[in-house]
Order: sequence, then C-alpha cells, then structure tokens
Amino acid sequence: MSRLGIFVDRKTLSNAEQLGALIHCRDVAEGMGHNVDFLFPVDINKIPKMDALFIRARTDPMNITYVAARMADFHGIPVIDDSDSIQICGDKINMYSHLIKKDVALPKTVFLSKNDLSVERVSQLFDTLGTPLIVKEPSTSFSLRVEKVTDIAGFFRVARRFIKMSDWIVVQQFVESTYDWRVGVLGGELLYVCKYTIPSVTFKIQASVNGHIVYCGVESVPADAVPPHVIQLGIDAANAIGNGLYGVDIKNSNGDARVIEVNDNPSLESGEDAHYPKVYERIVSHLFAA
Amino acid sequence: MTRDSLAVVTRDHAYHVISEDYSYKTEAYYTILEHELAGEDIRPSSRSVLDAFVVPICLERAKLAGVPVMEWGISQAYVPLPAILYGLNYFATASDFFVVQDNEQAKDVVKHITNKGKYPFCYQKLGDGATIHTCTAVFGQTTGSCAAIGGYAAMIYDLFHIPLVSMVFVRSGKEFALSSLAPTRYTHLTHKERSLLAAYRKGQEFL
Repeated sequence: MSRLGIFVDRKTLSNAEQLGALIHCRDVAEGMGHNVDFLFPVDINKIPKMDALFIRARTDPMNITYVAARMADFHGIPVIDDSDSIQICGDKINMYSHLIKKDVALPKTVFLSKNDLSVERVSQLFDTLGTPLIVKEPSTSFSLRVEKVTDIAGFFRVARRFIKMSDWIVVQQFVESTYDWRVGVLGGELLYVCKYTIPSVTFKIQASVNGHIVYCGVESVPADAVPPHVIQLGIDAANAIGNGLYGVDIKNSNGDARVIEVNDNPSLESGEDAHYPKVYERIVSHLFAA
Repeated sequence: MTRDSLAVVTRDHAYHVISEDYSYKTEAYYTILEHELAGEDIRPSSRSVLDAFVVPICLERAKLAGVPVMEWGISQAYVPLPAILYGLNYFATASDFFVVQDNEQAKDVVKHITNKGKYPFCYQKLGDGATIHTCTAVFGQTTGSCAAIGGYAAMIYDLFHIPLVSMVFVRSGKEFALSSLAPTRYTHLTHKERSLLAAYRKGQEFL
C-alpha cells in the first residue's frame, strides 16, 4: 500500500472549509487504496518515508513548504507543489518572466528596479501603460500588496512601501472586469474551471474594506460553458510554468483574454470543483503515476 | 566593492555574480534570474541561493555532498538544550542565529523567531564543549585561522557556487560540522579576503 503525505500547517487546519477539503482528499486517497498521513512542519523528517507528497499550506520559497518540497526532491518523492513551481509562482517577476518567454497573453507588464525609481521613469510608465496602473510586490498572494494608483505621487507612496520588501516590483496595465476566470490545470490538462466574482467595493478578489475583509464569490462552471480560448490560455499559461497543479487567473475583457497570474497551490475548498467531482482522484493519480 | 554593489565577472565561460547579499528578491537574485531566463550559464543559480540560505535545505544538500553537518530538527516550541536556533520564515535570515543555554532564554528567543508561535523554527542541538566558528569563503577559499575548514569551503563552493559566503561551523573536539551559510558584508572581509576577491575579479592566473 502506498503512503501519501499531506503537508499542512496550523493555519490550514484553523479554517473549517480547508479542513473539510483535506478530510475529503484523505477519504478519496484512502478509497483508492492508499494510506494517508497528515504531516506537520515538525514531521518534516518523515517525508522520506512517503511515496508521494501533497502540500496544502501557503507556499513560499522562504517558508517551511519549500523545505518540504526540496526534501521530497532530495529523496525522489513526487510532490505537488514541486519546488520549481513554488519558486516561480511565489515571485511574480519570475512568474511573469516565464509567461512572457512563452508568449502567453497578459496585460502590459514592466518590472521596475529600485534603482530605476524616478519621476521620469514613472511618468513614462503612465504614458505607456495608461492610467490607472497596478503595482504589485512580487510575493503578493490573495491580492495582498496589490495596489491601483492613479498618479505619480500615489505610485511613489506604494512603490516605496513595496521596495522595502523587494528590490524589484511589478507595474501593470489595469484591466477592468467584474470577475476572473480561474482555470485549474494539472499536468498540462484541464482540471476545473470556476469564476471568482470581484466584490463591487474593490478591484481585488480579496480586500480589506473599512476594516472588514471582503471575499470574492466562487462559482464552479462546467467546461462546456467556458469560452474555449479561455481554457486554452489557462493550459498554455500553466505549461509555461511546469507540469504540476496550477490555478490560472484570467480576465476576459471583450473577448480579449489575458492571464493575470498563475498560482501554485490553488484553493480547492470554496466550491471551485463543484462541477468536477474527480479533482482529488486525479491529483492523487497524478502523484502516484509520477 | 562598495556596499550593496554587485559585479558580474566571466570565468570559465560562465558568468559569476559577486554580491554581499544573494537573498531572495534582491538585486543580485534578479540579476541571476535574468541570466537564467536568457539561457545563460550563471553562478550561483537562483536555486542554489535559495537552497543555501534556508538552513535545513542547506544542511541536507551539504550532507548529501559529503560535508559533515549539524543534526537538525523543526519545532514550534520544543528546544533541546543547549542549541542553536534559526528562524524559518519570510522575515528570517540565516545570518541571525541564536545560541540558547537554558529554558528561560530559549522561551524568549523562540517567541522572537517564531513571531509569537506563528512560524516553525530550526534547531540544532549542541554537544558538551561545542564552540561556534564563523568563516568567510571567497570563491571557495579561506584564509588565516579558517584554513582548518578549507576543504569543506571548497566542497561548499562546488555545491552552491556562491562567490562570497559566511559559513557557520560547530566544533566538537577536533570535528567540525556545518551549521549554516549566510551572506557576508564587504566591510566584514579581512585584508587577505579582500585581496583574494580582487584577484578573482581580475582573473589572476593562480586561480
């Protein structure tokens, strides 16, 4: 019997929806004949005893999930998310660079080094990318450290804050939309599609408004109800990153689809997979087929 | 070289990035990434600098390469005493290590490096009479009193290809074990180390 390790942290387990999704994942894997162990950071030395590893905690090259992924690498254990995907998707400079290299459609995007931060350069960015601009700190997730700016002074306020965390930042053309498509891709194949409806009070999928966190709405959508070019763009974007599990966010404004970002470790606990009952079965099969 | 400056030199048909700090999302890191994305042979690689400065990964890779390393564990609270502790999160750097001798001290340090229990940390148990030694390696070479670990410095360079790195070793009796690698400030280099760095930059033949 094969052993699947599901790597979690206390934050993952503190969320009732995530806990429910993890238990569902365990039940599916056990139903397929595998043994399942939940592994916590203190259990990291048990990774070599596993036959496959599924990381379900917020990934970042600077945190314990990257250690877990590299431990799996060192011992030849198949892992989702693999360390390459964590490294690339955890840093938007790296992620967009991979998409640009493969000619994946995305909003006009510029990387700005702290050494190039000048009034002239910022003014030029407004001229070429338009107003407003989106400024991103490269490690952002869940729309944290993503800001919309409309003038040079606002740009500098945001950029100075972000440059304390990264020597380079991302500047992007703003694309208006009321929802994002999220295309789930596994091993280069479509896994699921859902819509994230952006709250009317913000331009982000998650934001703090007047001290309250507002979340996007989630609606699972059957594949035959999704524009085919959106699905293909999602698959192309995922393939530009790697062969793992990704959630690709796409804005489809007037039929002009563009990738907003590719996420490793995509959320699966909010009903994203409602129309796709075999998501976990496919993930487990993919891991053990590797 | 001046503070925060970096240099890219070509040696043996490869680019070498010399910097004080190769940490994630620094100018040096993005310089490496740019070269990698252009398909060029650049050293160190972005993968190597991530691996080198996350303590458990550094030790696992070094161990697999035959460098003696400290035994390590991950914890949220428990610490075997005495021990060296390293933070393991977005805000931690391998340059900051803490030696704890008793429970009271350990409690304070753990609170600090875990941001009040939010993140795990890495511990390494220290044996009786163990002492800690920090040495700098310039392209895998050491000078002065660090000559004793010169062989390990060369192995570490072969593994990570980091031109300028600070190495923390724990000595127990006559044995040395690697505890961590960390960035080095140019101002912390000795006269001999600066000369070595200058020689590498100029490509002197003894290299």
